[in-house]
Amino acid sequence: MNTQTILNELASKKIISDRQASLILAYETTKPLSMHWELRLMLYAGILLFNAGLGIIIYQNIDTIGHQAIIAAITLLTASCFYYTYRKSQPYSNDEVQNSGKLQEYALLLGCVSFLALEGYLQFQYGLFGSRYGIAIIIPTILFFASAYRFDHRGVLSMAVTGLASWLGLSIAPLSVLSGNNLTDLKILAAAIILGTLLTVTGWLSEGLSIKKHFSYTYIFLGGNLAELAVLSGLFEQPHKVIYAILSISFCSFFILRARQNQSLLFLLLGVIYTYITVTNLLFFILGDSLFFSLQAVYLTFSSVAVIYFLLNYKKFLRIQDEKSI
Amino acid sequence: MKKAYNLNWIKNAEIQSRATYWLSRNLIGQTQLKSAKTAFPDHFYRPNFFVKAGLFLFVLIACTFFLGLISLFLQNIVTNLNFTVLSLLCAVFSIFFLEFHIKSMRLYHSGVDNALLYVSIALAAVPVFLEFNDLKVWQYALVLSVILIIATVRYADLLTAAGSFIALFVALANFLVNFSTGITLLPFSVMLLAACIYFPVSKNKSLYYANCCKLIQILSLITFYLGGNYLMVREGNALLSNPAASISEQIPFALVLYLFTIVIPLAYIWMGISKKDRISLNTGLLAITFSLYTFAHYFSPFTEPQEIFLSGLCLILCSALLIRYLHTPKHGFSDEPEERNIPEELKSNLIAQALGQDPETKGIEFGGGNFGGGGAGEVY
Repeated sequence: MNTQTILNELASKKIISDRQASLILAYETTKPLSMHWELRLMLYAGILLFNAGLGIIIYQNIDTIGHQAIIAAITLLTASCFYYTYRKSQPYSNDEVQNSGKLQEYALLLGCVSFLALEGYLQFQYGLFGSRYGIAIIIPTILFFASAYRFDHRGVLSMAVTGLASWLGLSIAPLSVLSGNNLTDLKILAAAIILGTLLTVTGWLSEGLSIKKHFSYTYIFLGGNLAELAVLSGLFEQPHKVIYAILSISFCSFFILRARQNQSLLFLLLGVIYTYITVTNLLFFILGDSLFFSLQAVYLTFSSVAVIYFLLNYKKFLRIQDEKSI
Repeated sequence: MKKAYNLNWIKNAEIQSRATYWLSRNLIGQTQLKSAKTAFPDHFYRPNFFVKAGLFLFVLIACTFFLGLISLFLQNIVTNLNFTVLSLLCAVFSIFFLEFHIKSMRLYHSGVDNALLYVSIALAAVPVFLEFNDLKVWQYALVLSVILIIATVRYADLLTAAGSFIALFVALANFLVNFSTGITLLPFSVMLLAACIYFPVSKNKSLYYANCCKLIQILSLITFYLGGNYLMVREGNALLSNPAASISEQIPFALVLYLFTIVIPLAYIWMGISKKDRISLNTGLLAITFSLYTFAHYFSPFTEPQEIFLSGLCLILCSALLIRYLHTPKHGFSDEPEERNIPEELKSNLIAQALGQDPETKGIEFGGGNFGGGGAGEVY
């Protein structure tokens, strides 16, 4: 099945004219191959490797290479990246800004990454902030938040959010929430829940107040995930299950409601999985170990069938018409 | 063999997606797309990726515990029930269930059918291991690859296609390492098998297998390259003959392999550019990266961090220059954004994961030897 046969099919049903068919065929045969995606991937990989390599080189050769030279080089790189971004940028707006420069997005990312390297170098070599590590983390965080809003960059926003979490001693990156945080510590658990809730509220507000609406996904995904996983960890391991259960169910309802509002099915999936875990854990607790153990095969089979039924008919249940890709 | 899914609907879905693309390029009008959609309807149930993932997960859970229930139940009424018979019975049942739901619920790679297919295959493969428990690895791999090929031919599933490909190569490698000449000839026989798979598959134009063919083409190009890659052969050889040695020995046919390591990626790239074939071009780019790594591994004047830094710098400069260069399309290549781009939302998550700050590895505190974010954490 190639373009020609598809055009023949369409033409035979009188949907397109023969002239249009030959136009489309000419377009398809002369169309250039787009390397957009490949080139962007190369850029990202380059920034990642550059960042990693720079870090290790400085760390290993801290005593041998000239400090002034290194500081000058990194400062120059950071400054030129930010200058380039600034020169190419559109004025600030509460809406999404379509950036004109093709490389601007990546220059800003590289600038932020090299700023972190610069700051780390200054702290390591000269003890710029002494033992006040908090200041050292919050400075780039503030800079990243400001750049994210000024230059409209979701990637830098998510770096800023990880910085904020890191300032409070938390890992918020999606894959390291469970491995990076010691959630058995009640202090960390509480901090995670509070920060996650605040971020979620921020995302919700930015949508409601129409300030950078498209940022709300980053806030709600990172924050909601952190809070919900912390709540689940509390549900499994802490006393006062009722509180965690209520919190968990309210987060899940928020996810599903949001999925319904924004046709965002990632949140539907998260909501469904987290609800399932919460409900199963509660049943396990209410029925007691021995009774639940004998019933678990039956329960898990039929409850999963129920979830499958829900997912097959989610459009009907949630009255979702169209759907977004994420 | 008869195909499991409605071929007409697959064709119609392809027509619809092409027509949608042409609409986005202003080659046809909105009303034309609408009439194309009514003239060529596809009634498949194909949900969004995340719903698919959820369906897949919960079908797996349901199947696991349902099978547990059944085996408990049957063991109570039938004494001395053989596990092999039970597994085969369940496999037959599960295949019927799968076929029934493909028809009744109009599934087409919707998560549910994928999960049921994998469960059926696992159930069908278990008896092989139970009944014949003293076979060689290559014999198991061969049987497995036959099962997976049959499944691929009927269901055109990507994972079974990849699985059968890998099983075939495992069988070949495990068979050859039994002989001393086999180890020497292993690279060349891997390349030969990969070439024998690539050419017929790239000739297959059937729409039903389009995605499977793409995947197998990529896999066979990669395998062909790795089979002739100097680093893979030398280290693999050392692993097989003398695993305790700290430095791997020089291998026979080293010059031929050096040549392969240089020539194959360039041939892929040339093939990709001249035929405007994305698969061979991208595989070639990946291969040449690995070739550079191969030579750097044995002959580099730089230390590892310097290599990482320099390769990053090269990648940034090359891609930035190419983006500038392709600002207007040249030589049949362009830098035009396409709809298959990664969604912005996902990109921001990836950045948070790869470049974000982490209290464990924060760039400020050098206790663990980390510097400037998570990227360094994995290397040192």
